[in-house]
Amino acid sequence: MTLVPGSTRPVITALIDPATVEAIAGETWIALVGDDEVIVPAPGDLPADTLSAWVDITGPWTGSVVLTTGRQTAADLTRALLGEAAPELLDHEDVADAIGEIANVVGGNVKAALPGPSTLGLPEVGQAPAVRDPDDVCRLDVLWRGRPLVVSIQGTLPPLPTPHEHPYPNGASL
Amino acid sequence: MRALVIDDSRAMRRIVSTALEGFGYETRQAGHGQGALDVLQEGYAPDLCTIDWNMPVMDGLQFVSVVRANPAWRALTLVMVTSESEQGQIVRALAAGAHEYVIKPFTPDALRDKLALLGMLPQGVAL
Amino acid sequence: MTLTATGFDWVRQLVHRESAIVLSPGKEYLVEARLLPIARSMGLSDVGRLVDSVRTRPSSEATRRIVEALTTNETSWFRDGDPFTALPSTVLPSLLATRGPTERLRIWSAACSSGQEAYTIAMLLEDALPGASTRVAITATDLSREMVERTRAGRFSQLEVNRGLPAAMLVRHFTRAGNEWQVSPDLRRMVTASECNLAAPLPRMGPFDVVYLRNVLIYFDLPTKQAILRRVRALMRPDGWLFLGAAETTLGVDDTWERVVVGRSSAYRPLKGA
Repeated sequence: MTLVPGSTRPVITALIDPATVEAIAGETWIALVGDDEVIVPAPGDLPADTLSAWVDITGPWTGSVVLTTGRQTAADLTRALLGEAAPELLDHEDVADAIGEIANVVGGNVKAALPGPSTLGLPEVGQAPAVRDPDDVCRLDVLWRGRPLVVSIQGTLPPLPTPHEHPYPNGASL
Repeated sequence: MRALVIDDSRAMRRIVSTALEGFGYETRQAGHGQGALDVLQEGYAPDLCTIDWNMPVMDGLQFVSVVRANPAWRALTLVMVTSESEQGQIVRALAAGAHEYVIKPFTPDALRDKLALLGMLPQGVAL
Repeated sequence: MTLTATGFDWVRQLVHRESAIVLSPGKEYLVEARLLPIARSMGLSDVGRLVDSVRTRPSSEATRRIVEALTTNETSWFRDGDPFTALPSTVLPSLLATRGPTERLRIWSAACSSGQEAYTIAMLLEDALPGASTRVAITATDLSREMVERTRAGRFSQLEVNRGLPAAMLVRHFTRAGNEWQVSPDLRRMVTASECNLAAPLPRMGPFDVVYLRNVLIYFDLPTKQAILRRVRALMRPDGWLFLGAAETTLGVDDTWERVVVGRSSAYRPLKGA
């Protein structure tokens, strides 16, 4: 790929607005978690022990839709999602599967609101991928039953070098 | 009536199966398109398949194409249940032979409405 | 929690009676949250008081607002099927046979709510009749200004378009806008939305070839039902068609209508000479 000085890639904040992300998350909660289950946009402090689920979007914009919350909240979310079908004891697989599916639903709808065509990856669960470009992030902080949860739509690619940078000392272009 | 619920998420398979059982269906599950084909080839003859799009091994669109290409499975009603929700994706799925399309997130009532459109609600289920 | 068990039970029965929607036990928090704005708008401090008030002094407007608030996201397209599929199969051919080629067909969605009914009609006609947007005028009215504005906007959430709208029609008649779906300009052109109180003398409208008056008469007592049917009939063509809700009938209310079987549903037509 030829890097043309001054070229830009669209950052997520230019492609989707926070209200849309909120609507997507809100509808996902109503349908999957329960129709009287609200998520309130509000800052909160995530606990030290968190679990994340994410899906990758590849297309005109490439990045991940990452859901992060405390482990206990993730377990409670799983129980709420499964309702009567929830087993007595939840194991890690149950929780990973449930929050993975929430990430899939939120991610799929985010993808559909972005310029396409894009592909959606299968959900992954674990420690959240690092933010590569702080300018290419759309972050939604919410409280569910008073507990913090973060939806982060973050670009996979590092920022493009700005035009005044000269990576080659003799000024040769790529 | 019988259904085959195809989704790589166990939680979603449980949610959809529970909803369908509430409507009077008997259900079986598969975690991807190939697993679902295996179930069909073993002789389970569902009336309805609910199909997620993004799955490992064989995705939902491929499954729909394979089913549609096989005259033995002509009577199968195929309903996508997926978070893929661009206009273009819905068109692709319908063109490949899916009969209906439920966008995730969905409520059990939404699923019921779609089945009613297809005449696929077992007798005696109140609308 | 200000709602008592009997209060909640009353709300459940009301919602089931008026909309067939079942509020399961455990939805008390939902009811509290959704009805609080209505209570406040009526100068009442909480939902418990709102329920007491409506139980002791029945008000069809308050009842309607309560049911609406508890059934958002529940409104479906093509509700009950036949009253709508009857348009291209039965009603339209019958009308086209007797109307002139340039005569406008007028249809009234008389309790349009957020617009699903009006746009269901518009979609069916657009698909059945070439140039429908120039030949058909759909009037959509509702008591609520909010609902009229929603109908005008023709914009629906992901959850709303999942409710009984065939996917093929979704892709044909809507475009995505963010996380929502916007009805096409052609369809919007066919629909004119305005506020209207059915229980009062009606503005000059129509004359209508088809009227959809579905699941709204149930909110009124017998004399008012009769008055509404009289007023509606006065705005209809003599060979027009009236569709009521699935559990509704003119039987026992107004004997100047003839019931016609349409699929598994019924339509009512003004009785000749009545």
